[in-house]
Amino acid sequence: MDTIDNIPAAETGTKPLGAARVGIGGPVGSGKTALIEQLLVHLAKRSISTAVITNDLVTAEDAERLRKGGAIDPARVLAVEAGACPHTVIREDPTLNIIAADQLDRLYRDLELTIIESGGDNLASTFSLDLVDWWIFVIDVAGGDDIPRKRGPGVLQCDLLVVNKVDLAPHVGVDLGRMLEEARSVRDGRPVVATNCRSGENVAAVADAIAEAVLVAR
Amino acid sequence: MGATSSSPDHTITGILGSRLDPQWHDRLHHMEHHGGIDLVRLDTRDLSRRRLRVTSESGADCMIALARDEPLFDGAVLFADEAHAIVLKVNLERWLRLRPTSAEDALALGYAAGNLHWRVRFRGKDLEVAMEGPEQGYLDRIPDLIESGAVIVVAEETSSA
Ligand SMILES: Nc1nc2c(ncn2[C@@H]2O[C@H](COP(=O)(O)OP(=O)(O)OP(=O)(O)O)[C@@H](O)[C@H]2O)c(=O)[nH]1
Ligand SMILES: [Mg+2]
Repeated sequence: MDTIDNIPAAETGTKPLGAARVGIGGPVGSGKTALIEQLLVHLAKRSISTAVITNDLVTAEDAERLRKGGAIDPARVLAVEAGACPHTVIREDPTLNIIAADQLDRLYRDLELTIIESGGDNLASTFSLDLVDWWIFVIDVAGGDDIPRKRGPGVLQCDLLVVNKVDLAPHVGVDLGRMLEEARSVRDGRPVVATNCRSGENVAAVADAIAEAVLVAR
Repeated sequence: MGATSSSPDHTITGILGSRLDPQWHDRLHHMEHHGGIDLVRLDTRDLSRRRLRVTSESGADCMIALARDEPLFDGAVLFADEAHAIVLKVNLERWLRLRPTSAEDALALGYAAGNLHWRVRFRGKDLEVAMEGPEQGYLDRIPDLIESGAVIVVAEETSSA
């Protein structure tokens, strides 16, 4: 009996998919917004239709910075105010962020990627996979080379660990090679990228990783 | 260069059915006899993702890209042609079984598990934690309870998701 010949092959699905959702979390000041600013340039070069949601505590500081940066249509940047606990809106109850991401999907039919920046938090903060498909955790060299050893859930569980501010390593006495080695070892070999989000060094590798993991060729 | 660095073998934008649907059951059974079934294995936590790039057991590179309201589940048929199908298989969950030695220790362990956002279930007087990474990673979070003997690790168990 062959009753399913009419079922279309998976490849021919026509339902609107909406954009891939990528989270960016990490401690206060580690360079999350700086990474997004640099990523936007790479994504624009690759013609990837992008939007950003920021989560600030009680202001829209990061959203304003991105809107003024010129790398993205200001209307494509939404700010969700996280209140006192930045991790609540990306993990325990991500409703506000999901509503914002759904809204962007409705507003921009061509949208391929929505980046969600978490408010700066501690090493324990993680994203709910109900909110994002894939997420990055950004730590910085100036925070100390013992950070990977502390095995914070953010460092361990993220899909990509970005070690930012590599330019500062000599100034803060950090052995960058060892820090990266330890980061890879606590993550069981899952990917780690070292960046300088001031100069843009290695940000292309982060854009590649996003494209590889969640973007569907159009 | 296009949007992706390398194109996947399959882009899966919809789930075709369940291995348990009667019509799929018969068809998959037939394919299985001819070695036509390929599996994509995922951990329970990954089922929440709507976009993910995975390699099947036989090496097919699959980009799964589903609408937000389309959940992944064990037995989901991801791809099928005349003779082949790719079916999703959810890995058995691993549980870390922890036994507090007194009521006070049980309170402390319960507090820690909640504070660490562990996914848990109860087994009599034991607490089981769903492991999404190496066991040591969990024990490292409660060193005082483990080192003092307040909480004992009971031999690991597997059970179906
Ligand atoms: N030297 C150096 N400075 C950097 C780098 N990346 C970011 N910064 C600086 O670090 C500071 C914090 O960067 P942000 O991008 O605002 O960090 P953030 O993680 O978004 O901060 P919050 O959102 O407040 O948690 C800014 O002054 C940046 O210019 C880097 O790679 N090297
Ligand atoms: Mg920021």
